[in-house]
Amino acid sequence: MTTRDPYRGRRIVTAFLLMLGFVLVLFRLFSLQVLQAEELTAKADRQHRKTVTVEGGRGGIYDRQGNPLAINMDVPSVFGVPASLENPSGVARDLARVLHIRADEIEKKLKQERSFVWIARKVDPEQGRSLERLSLDGIGTVLEGRRFYPKGPLLAHVLGFAGMDGQGLEGVERRYESHLQGEKQLVVLQRDALGRTVFPKGLNEQAPAPGHNITLTIDEVIQYIAEKEIDEAVAATKAKGGIAIVMEPRTGAILALAISPKFDPNVVKGISADRWRNRALTDAYEPGSTMKVFIAAAALEEKVMEPGTMVYGENGQMTVANTVIHDHEKSGWMTFAQVIQKSSNIGAAKTALALGEERTYRYLKAFGFGERTEIDLPGEAAGLLKEPKDWGRRSLASIAIGQEIGVTALQLVTAASAVANGGWLMKPYVVSEIRNSREQVVAQLGPQVRRRPVSAETARTLAGIMEGVVTNGTGTRAAVPGFRVAGKTGTAQKIDPQTGAYSPTLFVGSFTGFVPAEDPRLAIVVVIDEPHAEAWGGVVAAPVFRKIAEQALPYLGVSSRGPVRLAMASY
Amino acid sequence: MKPIAVIVGVALLLLYVWERNEIVRAGYHIERLKEKKVALQRERNELRVKVSALTAPERIARAASDKLEMMPPRPGQVVLVRVSPEVPAEAGAKAKVKDRPAGPELRLAKYDVTGREP
Repeated sequence: MTTRDPYRGRRIVTAFLLMLGFVLVLFRLFSLQVLQAEELTAKADRQHRKTVTVEGGRGGIYDRQGNPLAINMDVPSVFGVPASLENPSGVARDLARVLHIRADEIEKKLKQERSFVWIARKVDPEQGRSLERLSLDGIGTVLEGRRFYPKGPLLAHVLGFAGMDGQGLEGVERRYESHLQGEKQLVVLQRDALGRTVFPKGLNEQAPAPGHNITLTIDEVIQYIAEKEIDEAVAATKAKGGIAIVMEPRTGAILALAISPKFDPNVVKGISADRWRNRALTDAYEPGSTMKVFIAAAALEEKVMEPGTMVYGENGQMTVANTVIHDHEKSGWMTFAQVIQKSSNIGAAKTALALGEERTYRYLKAFGFGERTEIDLPGEAAGLLKEPKDWGRRSLASIAIGQEIGVTALQLVTAASAVANGGWLMKPYVVSEIRNSREQVVAQLGPQVRRRPVSAETARTLAGIMEGVVTNGTGTRAAVPGFRVAGKTGTAQKIDPQTGAYSPTLFVGSFTGFVPAEDPRLAIVVVIDEPHAEAWGGVVAAPVFRKIAEQALPYLGVSSRGPVRLAMASY
Repeated sequence: MKPIAVIVGVALLLLYVWERNEIVRAGYHIERLKEKKVALQRERNELRVKVSALTAPERIARAASDKLEMMPPRPGQVVLVRVSPEVPAEAGAKAKVKDRPAGPELRLAKYDVTGREP
């Protein structure tokens, strides 16, 4: 007799249900692992991995002694998430206290219907730390690279500045943008459930390289001296502005380039382009009598004149092309050297007339007038030197006294350097070396000769004549005790923009020279734009030359000539 | 034979899991160190900017004149004395140059001998 299993039916049902369950699980697994595999893998990757663009820091700019003039630093930028704020007014008040921004401005931003708003970008690190202590909900910070110019306005016109996104907008920052900017790299990060980075993807991955570091030819101390003196002169003469450039005549390296009024590159917002333009190389002006130096160089080289050649001064008045040229001092016969030393317009005009149009033009061109010096800074102007075919009947005489010609202060100091260094026209430059972040030299920039306008003998003779300008001519106030100085004063009338004619009240006073005359270490040009009251270059600009030279020479360790009398020494 | 194989298999599996765990832990540690490094670099840069701003020639000059009441030497207050066998006997005797530290040049502060007003 067979006993009937009373649970058989249940077992079958249970087994069937279990089988069904397994089949369902298997189907689901098949669906997830095979059918939707691609889509789900991509989704997981999106959640675990984060791709970010990482950029190496911007390279620094240093003076010739290695002092930093522009450095990059990561600083906090503050953002808000308006949707997650319960009390925007209270948060705005807290933020205003730390960030020194008006509370109503912040509140306006926080009440916008957006998921993300910038409240303040690139704030002070100290402010960032204060914000962290406050730990406000819905307010966060991210780090961004900010450009700092630790010396403030020092050298601002040469350094230029970088924009909010770190790109160079002016000066060295702009000219050397490709070197300064850091390398950009895409980096994939693996994140955990809390959003933390789990593990660096590939330990061998190199961080993006920072930008190159740039060393300038500028010396921070000489720059400071030049800026201080030009600022003081501009203030004392109530002038519109001023320029002082200090160059090493043998190399063309710029040691200082000061422009007044100055600006702080850390705070460029709201400053007009007129203020930060590097007027030493963007603005051309009529140089006046300083141009006589280069007419004299041509005359000496062409043997049209010798220092002792007698020139008649026409008692201070001479007619050229139905116009009258005046001298400020009535002179009869004088030597050619005295023509330069007394700054005789008539003597200079006669010299140019003796040279003729073609030779005058050729020499001025050779000295670099009417063409860019090719300095490694942006925005340089070529100045104005018309071709002889475009000259009028008076042009030759006018150019000899520095009219009908436009030069930049940089062209002038470069040309004066050519007289100082024995006749070589150098290419001026401000960057001497570029190194990468591993301190390897990427580029070394040295002196470059452009051409030789005059011989060493002519340069020597001319330097002797220019010494006379300082010892007993118009530039006596440029004399530096203990040193031989060669130079030339210049006083030029400006064109009145209202009338289009020479203004009786607007002048540019200048002095161009070099020191020590026998072995020049510094070539300096000083330009004072629209000084009030007295405008003579010998009065307003020559003293600035002296003050810069007498401070810069001892700093460079240049000894004064002559024996030293020692009365009493103390240690 | 079979149980041994199972034990070895489980041991290998545990080793693998332990290794993975250690890798993740080390990863977190590396990340923490990297963050610390970045923070220290930031602090270094901040200090560099501060040092650089504090050593600006304008600030030094202002501090020297305002706080320390210093002023640039007047003409004739600084002379260069060459310390070499060719030092004139008179100057050498007066300044006792031989007793001074060796160097190519010595700068001596002295009273104005030029008689000129600065």
